[in-house]
Amino acid sequence: MGLKVENVVKHFGEKLAVDHISFEMKEPGVFGLLGTNGAGKTTTIRMMLGMLKKDSGEITWNGKQVERKNVKFGYLPEERGIYPKTKIYEQLIYFAELKGMKKEEACKEIDYWMGRLKVDEYKDMQAEKLSKGNQQKVQFIASILNNPELIVLDEPFSGLDPVNTELLKNVILELVEKGKYIIMSSHQMSSIEEFCSDVVIINRGKTVLKGNLKEIKDAYPAKRLEVNVKQDITSYITELGMNIEKNIDNNYEINIDNEEQAHTLMKNLVNNNISIDKFELKKPSLNDIFIEKVGA
Amino acid sequence: MRDLFIVAKFTIKDMIKRKSFIISNLIILLIIVLLFNVPNILNAITGDNTPSETKTNILIMDKDNIFEGTLEQLNDMDLGYQAIISNEDLQLEDIKSKIENGEIEEALKITNQDGSIHIEYIVENLAMVTNVPESLVNAITTIYSNLQISKLGLTQEQLASLVPNFNFEMTQTEEQEVQGNQFAMMLMSLVLFYAIYFCAYQVSSSITTEKTSKIIETLVTSTTPRTIVLGKTIGIGIVGLIQIAAIIATALISNALFLEEGVLDGIIDFSNITPFLGIITAVYFILGYAVYALLYALTGSTVSKPEDVQSANGPVAIIAVIGFYLAYFTMMNPTSELNKLAAILPISSPFCMPFRVMMGIATTQEIAISLVVIAITIFVVAKISIKIYSQAILNYGSKISLKDMLTMYKNKNV
Repeated sequence: MGLKVENVVKHFGEKLAVDHISFEMKEPGVFGLLGTNGAGKTTTIRMMLGMLKKDSGEITWNGKQVERKNVKFGYLPEERGIYPKTKIYEQLIYFAELKGMKKEEACKEIDYWMGRLKVDEYKDMQAEKLSKGNQQKVQFIASILNNPELIVLDEPFSGLDPVNTELLKNVILELVEKGKYIIMSSHQMSSIEEFCSDVVIINRGKTVLKGNLKEIKDAYPAKRLEVNVKQDITSYITELGMNIEKNIDNNYEINIDNEEQAHTLMKNLVNNNISIDKFELKKPSLNDIFIEKVGA
Repeated sequence: MRDLFIVAKFTIKDMIKRKSFIISNLIILLIIVLLFNVPNILNAITGDNTPSETKTNILIMDKDNIFEGTLEQLNDMDLGYQAIISNEDLQLEDIKSKIENGEIEEALKITNQDGSIHIEYIVENLAMVTNVPESLVNAITTIYSNLQISKLGLTQEQLASLVPNFNFEMTQTEEQEVQGNQFAMMLMSLVLFYAIYFCAYQVSSSITTEKTSKIIETLVTSTTPRTIVLGKTIGIGIVGLIQIAAIIATALISNALFLEEGVLDGIIDFSNITPFLGIITAVYFILGYAVYALLYALTGSTVSKPEDVQSANGPVAIIAVIGFYLAYFTMMNPTSELNKLAAILPISSPFCMPFRVMMGIATTQEIAISLVVIAITIFVVAKISIKIYSQAILNYGSKISLKDMLTMYKNKNV
């Protein structure tokens, strides 16, 4: 069951855009597809949705080739696009009918989602008269109103204010609860960490990291140490060969080579009766891992 | 098929609901109604409510009575003049005041000067007049000749032999007979060209808008690029047909309501406008539109910025203009081989063949060949355009070159 991408390759002329990418989404949830600009994310998404033909490899949904007839999918592209001069309601009906819905059914779904995302007051307005955030919500509706099984969201939160970001997050969680498979591509690592259990990071068309996000993070040793004390402990830190990255009022951020150094520092501080408010080994964030993997 | 209908329906609704579309079309129809009302408007301005068949009032002064009262015959001749004959000798100032108060429009002053007859032609302004009207000169000459001949005391037979009644007849050596009126045909060719050209151009604009505003990303996840191109082409074509039908209907209704019977007889031979001609014109509009719309679909899909669409469409515009002029200029000699060629070439046949049919010189065989050629062209252009469109539409890089297009066409993995 689910989505399976196996050894997919795509060239544009001489350029290799996607080089043997593989990942799998076995159960409903949110899957993170990460990469720098031009890494091959959009090309991968387009191949997954049948917008582009792959040169080789397999993309299957529940064991069948991903085609419009085999899977109902929804796509929120990174580049937003709706008809600027057309009324919101009319273009949503158009998109819904193209997705195979009957008009009555489409109207019912559109009414529900416009109310849910608080844009129902704009339904008879031309799209160009809406704010960027509201246009984005309209396009989000266009991507989900046919009740798709597989949803691809490319940068779903960009351009949204905190209130609307929260609203959209709740809708995504609602979709997950309904058993939807969601692939989220974003540069906002906090969003990915919040939603995704599994991720794949691609760079220059190649997979550089993939798997369960928690396991990936656990596999990375702590590289930083945060210590809050009431007195200057600079000498204790430097004598162990550690580097102080930041020190504000004896709140230290320290780069460490290994966790053993941190344990030694703690022992020295305790032995010298130095009162410790906070002593935390910091695991690398997804952002740190991302930069390490693709930043070089 | 369902998606094709949905795309076409949306395209039609989206076009005809636009304020700019409604206003521009209303203006065109209003202009047509106004044009058909020009004679009525002129009459209303001049306060003349008499029928449009007005004659020019001309004062003819024969103070020396050279014509011995025979000039009254001018009013029996169909010259377009109402002659007011007088033996007075009015001065230029008096004639000027008569012209200014509308009593007369022109005057002829006939005098005997040293044995020769001097005729002065007086009008308000000579700017638009290069010669004394030939019909008037001929009529006066004939009246004078008849007057002098009658004085010779000839018999009726002798008189008849002096004033022969020639019966001229026109015959052509070519087998094909040309009917109708070339002016009307050229005018209609121009209308058909603009209708085809601008409707086809709409396809390009629409495709570029969808690409540059990224709407295409949403569309291609719902239906195929082929369906989008064909649905859009069909939708805009139907709107174009409705526009032409509205223009023709407005013209016909305006003609029936506002124009005196027979006013257009010199411009259009209505007997040549048959249902068959109507069908042929509609068919060639559809086919011509299909050729150019599909070419424009290709060029429209190759640009990423709206400002580049003009230059991308340039080559298609050049082909269309060449096709039009080939049809237009060869119409001046409709039986020439070049006009036959123009009626068969797919770039010019939509502007040429309906008028060969109207002139009655198009053979069934020529029509059949022309239709087959343009149908094959549409098939080939559609195949190439759709294949390139399918790839170009998601390519947002720099403008796609001819080399890129060739690569896309050769790409088997589409």
